[in-house]
Amino acid sequence: MTNSKDSKSGIDPRLLEVLICPASRGPLSFDKENNELVSKKAGLAYPIRDGVPIMLIDEARELEEN
Amino acid sequence: MAYSPDQNPPLVFNRELLKKHRNRAAQNFDQFSFLKQRAAQSMVDRLEDISTSFNRVLDLGCHSGTLEKEIAKSQTIKNRVKDTFHCDISYKFTAQIVGMAIAVDEERLPFKSSSFDAVFSCLSLHWVNDLPGTLIQIKNILKPNGLFIGQLLGGRTLHELRTCFIRAETEIRGGASMRVSPFADVQDLSNLLQRAGFSNPVADTETINVRYSHPLKLLQDLRGMGETSALFINKENRPPNLTRTILFRALEIYGEQYATEDGKYPATFEIITASGWTTSPNRFLNKE
Repeated sequence: MTNSKDSKSGIDPRLLEVLICPASRGPLSFDKENNELVSKKAGLAYPIRDGVPIMLIDEARELEEN
Repeated sequence: MAYSPDQNPPLVFNRELLKKHRNRAAQNFDQFSFLKQRAAQSMVDRLEDISTSFNRVLDLGCHSGTLEKEIAKSQTIKNRVKDTFHCDISYKFTAQIVGMAIAVDEERLPFKSSSFDAVFSCLSLHWVNDLPGTLIQIKNILKPNGLFIGQLLGGRTLHELRTCFIRAETEIRGGASMRVSPFADVQDLSNLLQRAGFSNPVADTETINVRYSHPLKLLQDLRGMGETSALFINKENRPPNLTRTILFRALEIYGEQYATEDGKYPATFEIITASGWTTSPNRFLNKE
């Protein structure tokens, strides 16, 4: 699922097993390109910094509607 | 029945400010971590009496990873814990963790139901606005037969400092504002655990007296621990600024009222430890 050799980007797959969106409680998908966890339901993307997902609503990026 | 965090409980604490205090404390935490260490050791003592193994453990409010370091020192426990997920509202603390870490707001836990075998929280939940709500969320993310142990600062914490601030401010301004956080007490906590649906809830309390050479050292320590007041303040309830005059009068009263014969200034910290188990399979398991 992820390349754990790269510590700067990517995420431990064990984290993906347990994490959901704190705003919508909906599922998250890992966006490898932007290194973010995306909640479609909430329209938010949570950044991952050095392997640490920042699951704080006020630090998430709002997704553009399309 | 499922808990919705949008029911707007009254805001006592400013979580944004707490995050700032924690981020600041993260720079030098190990110099100020004596209280956290003490609590973590007491948590480990309790775990030694429980023979259960835990595949997935959530460390809620991990600071610099103090609890895991204490667990690693115990031969009887370290092999019983497989994966630890470290959480803190401060990214700067999570960045110091070797292993899995997540920046998390305890008021909105980002975890699936039935994810963990145990949730341990060492001196963090006293900053949560809606403790009943957080406890319900914790119960929800625990698997059946899961264990929660939480340690919070209790109501006797800093009672000396609180008294001095109130007296100084009343003398100088004729009225007092809240300068020290309100804390829960033991009875509250075991009731809350029961209401959240934990079985066998137990809560007890431990008082720690720290002796300072000067009350300013206490204030320095609180800052270093990231425990300075993070009360929620808006335009309507903003208290008058804490002036130097009031601060120095408060410190003076501290000396008059509490200093011991050998010139030390005692400060009380109360650590409440509460624990409970989840038993029956979670009814909301498949609703996600």
